Amino acid sequence: MLRRNIRLRREYLYRKSLEGKERLLYEKKRKIKEALLEGKPIPTELRNEEAALRQEIDLEDDYTAIPKTHIDDEYANATIRDPKILLTTSRDPSAPLVQFVKELKFVFPNAERMNRGGQVISEIIESCRAHEFTDVILVHEHRGIPDGLIISHLPFGPTAYFGLLNVVTRHDIKDKKAMGTMPEAYPHLILDNFKTKLGERTANILKHLFPVPKPDTKRIVAFANRSDYISFRHHIYEKPGGPKSVELKEIGPRFELRLYQVKLGTMEQSEAQIEWVIRPYMNTTKKRSFIGNDHESDDKRKKIKA
Amino acid sequence: MVTPVEAAVESLRQISTEPPVWLVPKQELSQAVRAASKLLFASLKPHCTKSPFDELLIEGFDAEQIWQQIDLQSQPLLSSLRREVKKFEKHPEEISKLKVDVEGGKKKVLEEIETENVVVNDDDDEDDDIDMDEEDEDEEEEGEEKEKGREEESENEGEEKGGIEDKFLKIKELQEYLEEDEAREFGTNKKKRKAETKKHEEDTEDEEEEGDDEENEDDTDEAEEEEEDELGLFGGDDESDEDDLGNARYEDFFSRKKSKDSEDKAKYRDMLEEDSGSDDEHVDKKVKNQRKDGLSKHEKELDELRSKIEQMEKANLDPKVWTMRGEVTAAQRQKNSALEVDLDFEHNVRPAPVITEEVTASLEDLIKTRISEGLFDDVQKAPTLSSKAPREVKELDDNKSKKGLAEIYEEEFVQKTDPASAPLTFSDELKKEASMLFKKLCLKLDALSHFHFTPKPVVEDMSIQTNVPALAMEEIAPMAVSDAAMLAPEEVFSGKGDIKEEAEMTKADRKKRRANKKRKFKAKAAKRPRANTSVRNSDEGSKV
Repeated sequence: MLRRNIRLRREYLYRKSLEGKERLLYEKKRKIKEALLEGKPIPTELRNEEAALRQEIDLEDDYTAIPKTHIDDEYANATIRDPKILLTTSRDPSAPLVQFVKELKFVFPNAERMNRGGQVISEIIESCRAHEFTDVILVHEHRGIPDGLIISHLPFGPTAYFGLLNVVTRHDIKDKKAMGTMPEAYPHLILDNFKTKLGERTANILKHLFPVPKPDTKRIVAFANRSDYISFRHHIYEKPGGPKSVELKEIGPRFELRLYQVKLGTMEQSEAQIEWVIRPYMNTTKKRSFIGNDHESDDKRKKIKA
Repeated sequence: MVTPVEAAVESLRQISTEPPVWLVPKQELSQAVRAASKLLFASLKPHCTKSPFDELLIEGFDAEQIWQQIDLQSQPLLSSLRREVKKFEKHPEEISKLKVDVEGGKKKVLEEIETENVVVNDDDDEDDDIDMDEEDEDEEEEGEEKEKGREEESENEGEEKGGIEDKFLKIKELQEYLEEDEAREFGTNKKKRKAETKKHEEDTEDEEEEGDDEENEDDTDEAEEEEEDELGLFGGDDESDEDDLGNARYEDFFSRKKSKDSEDKAKYRDMLEEDSGSDDEHVDKKVKNQRKDGLSKHEKELDELRSKIEQMEKANLDPKVWTMRGEVTAAQRQKNSALEVDLDFEHNVRPAPVITEEVTASLEDLIKTRISEGLFDDVQKAPTLSSKAPREVKELDDNKSKKGLAEIYEEEFVQKTDPASAPLTFSDELKKEASMLFKKLCLKLDALSHFHFTPKPVVEDMSIQTNVPALAMEEIAPMAVSDAAMLAPEEVFSGKGDIKEEAEMTKADRKKRRANKKRKFKAKAAKRPRANTSVRNSDEGSKV
């Protein structure tokens, strides 16, 4: 098991190191393809390697044509199997935090909640790897109010650190009868305004916490990015009067997420490379938006693949 | 007898005083006014000794030029009047003498003057859009009026007081106001000095009246007021100088230095001021000079300044307030003192969003549009690569077989006995190629992933066997090398007969060898086609 892990890590690092070379090759192939399409002469720097590259181009298919990054490797198996999530808290959680984590367990399908007790993080992650979990989510608090969320994707995957703001839990709403029970169907996802590279990455991380839903579910989970603050909303909809009318009913907690770090290893790997960290004291932070676009309209059109 | 003055006055009275008339410049109006001013000028002529003009030249002259003429005449007049007034100041008894003399005769004139003053005042109250001509006329009139008035007033002041008063101006009220003001500023010594300063007050009153007149005038009359102030000042100075010089003491110079300085400063300020209020001050100054104690306004200001300076110096010596001290932690300042200060700094972070109704509504709208369009960002299932190869579907061929049954049996027999010699079918060849490739690939993968190395499979094809020890082929790092050779001796060398080396050969053997060679060569040469025999024959003949 140990040796297997070591070997996997080495493979991963090796493939990461190859990315540069692969990218070069990809660029060259792309140039040749373009030249062939347009009927233009092949650029002079590629003349020597042209024949070999041309052969490779002919043998390529859709899957191999795109250069893969280590990021894709992390989520390569995610689409094949359903995600399996473990939810825990920081040590000595207060009662409101425990309630919040219970709610989150219903939000993420296929999630398990575990008492923290006195376990060390590395132990937790080891055991999760052994049991084939795909993600671990840790929730932190400040005097009863949840204020931190750490999402770690398991086989060496990325770890995203969020701060929670404006948390409203289901327990706060006193009228339990009106709320009713939470449906447990796989939800549809809405991710809005994740436009930059970092935004796409965050969207990926959040997306792969959920399994592939059925097309006709009534449950919607929305992550909307407004000036680097991601709003989480959880609704049920129904269409009472024909297809065009939509009525929303909010269920589940609502909070704002604020990303402050993305690391390229799991939680216990403290020496892992930091992919992105927030810099609040930089003079231009206020003017920049890191996750999405603040100035354009928020319509995101996407082709639905059948 | 119509005095020139009366004539002038008469002409003035003829000019209409309706304000609307004066709004639009009219030729006859200006003519009338010019004529009146000429008469006035003539009336004053006897009093001026040094006047260069005999009469006021009007025809073809500009308003500015007419004014210059008047000015030229009146300047020396003013100075003479000043002298007269000074004289009367010094010797007030002469005024009363004058009063008695002139009382009867001048009364009428005074009344006229009074009315003219009123008239002048009305004129003054007109709009600013009056034409320049008319303005100049006004000034001329007033200037001359003033001169006259001053003359008359200096001659009989007692009567004037009664004469000048009208419903707006009460001398007694003025007096009381002045006294109150001075009492407010300087204490209650006013009453004592009242007798002495009565004359001064009268002077000031007169000046103030003129000042009132002048306040309604244009700015060009400032100079005259200032001159009056100077007059007063000079008068005052003369008096104070006399007093001090008479009783000059050390204290006056060195203990009362402040008062002297303040007095000078008051003088300076008076010269700059336009108001009649300045009159108060030089009166007060005189009062103060006569008293040796008391604080002037200026002194009070100085005191304030001094106290402020003391405060500021004290503040500089004290330790600084915590806000001015640079980096201050909570231990170094008072409790809750940071709450009172307005701390202001730029935040470089966007503030957390406040979730209002509008925000929630906008989010819900977005969700609704997405639902109605059906655009979701779900996880897409990746297309799975099929792990099994597609099954080979064996198609049964309906056509009659081309080969006869005997041929089929023959092929099968051949395959059994000698598989290498059987002719390969087309699909077999392809299959073979594919399987070869696959085997090579599997070999490489196995070498990478397994700990045990399996050697290459022996492929039956014609290949050259090299005479290398057998173990060297099988093992990469052979522990021992065996002598056993791969090849059998006949495979190494297949030769016939007795083989002798060069050294071992006898002469007969060599000869035999050579003879064999020659025989073979001749046989070969006979076979070759003969070319160019004629040339050859001749060569051969020569050679042999």
